[in-house]
Amino acid sequence: MKGDTGMADRYLTMAKTFFGTSHPLFNAFGVEVEEIGKGRAVMSIRPQPFLAGRGGGVHRGVIVTLLDTNCGLAIFSRLGDMRPIATIDLRVDFIAEAGAGNAVTSEVECYAVKGDIAYVRGRASTDSGDQLLATVSGSFAVGTLGPAFDSSMKEKGGVNG
Amino acid sequence: MADSGAQAAGNHNEAKVVLLNPVQAQLLEKTPFVGFLGIELIDSADEIIYQLTFRDQHIGNPLLRTFHGGILASFGEISAALHVTGVLGLDSEPHCESMTFDYLRPAFAGTIRAVPRIIRSGKRFIVVSVDIYLDQTLVSMGRFIYTR
Repeated sequence: MKGDTGMADRYLTMAKTFFGTSHPLFNAFGVEVEEIGKGRAVMSIRPQPFLAGRGGGVHRGVIVTLLDTNCGLAIFSRLGDMRPIATIDLRVDFIAEAGAGNAVTSEVECYAVKGDIAYVRGRASTDSGDQLLATVSGSFAVGTLGPAFDSSMKEKGGVNG
Repeated sequence: MADSGAQAAGNHNEAKVVLLNPVQAQLLEKTPFVGFLGIELIDSADEIIYQLTFRDQHIGNPLLRTFHGGILASFGEISAALHVTGVLGLDSEPHCESMTFDYLRPAFAGTIRAVPRIIRSGKRFIVVSVDIYLDQTLVSMGRFIYTR
């Protein structure tokens, strides 16, 4: 992302704000935005005791939560704004369990938008990237109920401000 | 199950609490993330109710106060695993290999209920579908594929 414009930097800042301390779930889970731009986003989650499954690694439900969130961010990046979206459907295949102590990185691209539907696919892997943990594909409704997520941030000089 | 549920209810004020088999107990009580979610099992007549009451850490859309899609899917999957383990009397936890999940309506803050149904139980694979209700409204449905 180094070659990107100031716009992308502002977008990253805004996304980090939304996905950071101001959101109860993302804050509790420690969801981090690593990269964002051009319909693609990378996020990560660090292991915490309460997020563990039976084997001690990050629970698959946490991985689904991370992937669903990352899908949303990839779509925001493709749309260029944070108008409300909602998951229509999600398919996740669990390839391997996360090992105890492993952070999990996810990477999702929004590869198409047709009318009010955005299409995404992606993967979760160990943070070193060498072990595939899960794959995701799904579709989201664009322009759903409620105010835009960036509406309050725009007033503070956010992405399109 | 109904008798044991009534006995367990002696320790609690309101609901009859389900007596779990050892694998279910392990899944529900020894899995940190399952404990964090706060899934409850309630014995109601001859069916077990799986329910989850909204907390801030379940939030997806903070402006609408809805459950996060990942939390709904987790709740569905864990309910399915508990159900399969109990109904089929599995001696170890089933492995969830794949899930598909349809989000039909926003799941606003409240208490949601999962109704799992075993579609097929084979030698190697178990297919479970789960409907999730908020009050009487179907908000999402999932299908989960397990291996024994």
